[in-house]
Amino acid sequence: MDAAEEISILALSLQVAGVATIAILPIGVLLAWLLAGFRGRVRVVVESLLTLPLVLPPTAIGILLLTMLSKNTWLGRMIAALGVEILFTWRAAVLASAVMSLPLLVRSARTAFEEIDPRLLGVARTLGDGPLRVFLRVALPLAWRGILAGTLLSFCRALGEFGATILVAGNIPHRTQTLALAIFHRSQVGRDADALRLVAVVSLVAFVAVYATERFGKRRDDTRSAT
Amino acid sequence: MIDLSFRLAQPPFSLEVELALAGRVTAVLGPSGSGKTTLLEVIAGLRRRAHGRVTLDGLVFLDSDRKTELAPERRHIGYVPQEPALFPHLDVAGNVRYGVRVPSEASNRRIAETLALLEIEKLAPRFPSTLSGGEAQRVALARALVTEPRLLLLDEPLAALDSELRHRILPYLIRVRDDAKVPMIYVTHHVGEALILADEAVVLRAGRVEATGPVQNVLTPKLVTSVRGDATFENIVRGVVIDDDRASGTARLAPLSGGAPDVATLLTVPAVDVLRSGAEATYRVASEDVLLLRALPGAISARNVFAARVIAVETLRTDVLVRLRAGTLEWRALVTPAAVRELEIAQGVELVIAIKTHSFARLG
Repeated sequence: MDAAEEISILALSLQVAGVATIAILPIGVLLAWLLAGFRGRVRVVVESLLTLPLVLPPTAIGILLLTMLSKNTWLGRMIAALGVEILFTWRAAVLASAVMSLPLLVRSARTAFEEIDPRLLGVARTLGDGPLRVFLRVALPLAWRGILAGTLLSFCRALGEFGATILVAGNIPHRTQTLALAIFHRSQVGRDADALRLVAVVSLVAFVAVYATERFGKRRDDTRSAT
Repeated sequence: MIDLSFRLAQPPFSLEVELALAGRVTAVLGPSGSGKTTLLEVIAGLRRRAHGRVTLDGLVFLDSDRKTELAPERRHIGYVPQEPALFPHLDVAGNVRYGVRVPSEASNRRIAETLALLEIEKLAPRFPSTLSGGEAQRVALARALVTEPRLLLLDEPLAALDSELRHRILPYLIRVRDDAKVPMIYVTHHVGEALILADEAVVLRAGRVEATGPVQNVLTPKLVTSVRGDATFENIVRGVVIDDDRASGTARLAPLSGGAPDVATLLTVPAVDVLRSGAEATYRVASEDVLLLRALPGAISARNVFAARVIAVETLRTDVLVRLRAGTLEWRALVTPAAVRELEIAQGVELVIAIKTHSFARLG
């Protein structure tokens, strides 16, 4: 067991979690903004669907992804036709992590958007801004702390993703073996001390991210609406 | 000219409005929940699902029959909600500048003028959370004004302020009316404000228009008390200072009626440094401060003593509001039923009015 191996596992894990987080950021923020502006049944349905990855066994999500991307489906064939290989590559780990962590981002960002005084958005409209400009000039600047907190939480979730990842990406050393998979693998083969070292590494990374969430996620007084 | 003919159903509440407003300033009064704010939001385009027609000077904001609805950002309306709703992430300068699309020399000059008009130049680098209620209100007003709106919608801009601050902000609104000359729709609970600012009034009750017309005709004491239990009745006098006497701390005011100063009924008011002869000023006298006497007194400290004829006597809840005419001015005096009996106050009776100099509070 050498440090180089551990560094490569950590690097792969950070790459997978990082790419997954960056990929879901625009989608998650947009979904959160749309959900915050809607009331009614459509919203409940979309929110319930979005929450599924949080409540279903991760392995269930893994199987669903595996089935959707297999060569037996139109989606799988289309991806194959494009010459992109997903299953059992690091890209599959990214996909699994993205799906599993998207709900956390959406929830956090949606709450941040909902906390904005709707009158601010209305006043911005009367001052000549269309919906997109209101989003960029008022909603985003006021919600960025919540979005950042959600992003960091999603990153942590992606870093710890195991169940769905192992199904779609396998557990291939140097290719798809992330920290979570490596810990499982080492524990299974009796390398408990090695596993614990990885636990220490992942704990440190997660602590820094959660600490940052707590530190920057709290609203400061000057960002509250003046009443 | 604003034409409103729409219906907005939001069970259990519904707002149905048929109005043609031509005033410079229209005051909208009504009990809480009567639809005042909703009316403003429909005009601003912030309430969807209104059905009907809304036009401003022929420009169609909403026409449900033709499926036309102008987006709020294309209506060019200034909206100041009840709480100022300043953008908390921008400083005062950023807030005021928010609606200016392309900064230019002209827009910079307009911003500077507006900041000066509302006396908030010094606040520019401050953030909303550090402003007092009155300062925040003026910033919100400036933010709406610099966009040169076609119409200004003010939703109880003074409601959150205490009465002292109220009297400090009111002159700014008078300036906006007279200097910036933007037509306004002004939602208020306060009859005094409506009488000072507005030339037209609308009374809403339970989502329906109860009365509309020139402000003096609409805001009769009976109607006003029914809208607001603790209504106050004030006398608003606008006039020209004809001379000021620093030694005695007083100035004399010739009331303006029909455009010309009425030099026959001069009023003695407190002298204020900023006022010079020839300046126009507006004063408020609470109806409780107007004393009624049966005959001219021998000696009295009140500087304003003049004859008046009773034109109406209206019994409110516990008090009696006596309306009197003296020359070109109408006065309202709030007295007790006992006083009415003792002085035998009735329509047509000649009385004497006495008002102390310091009962005149300057508004603007």
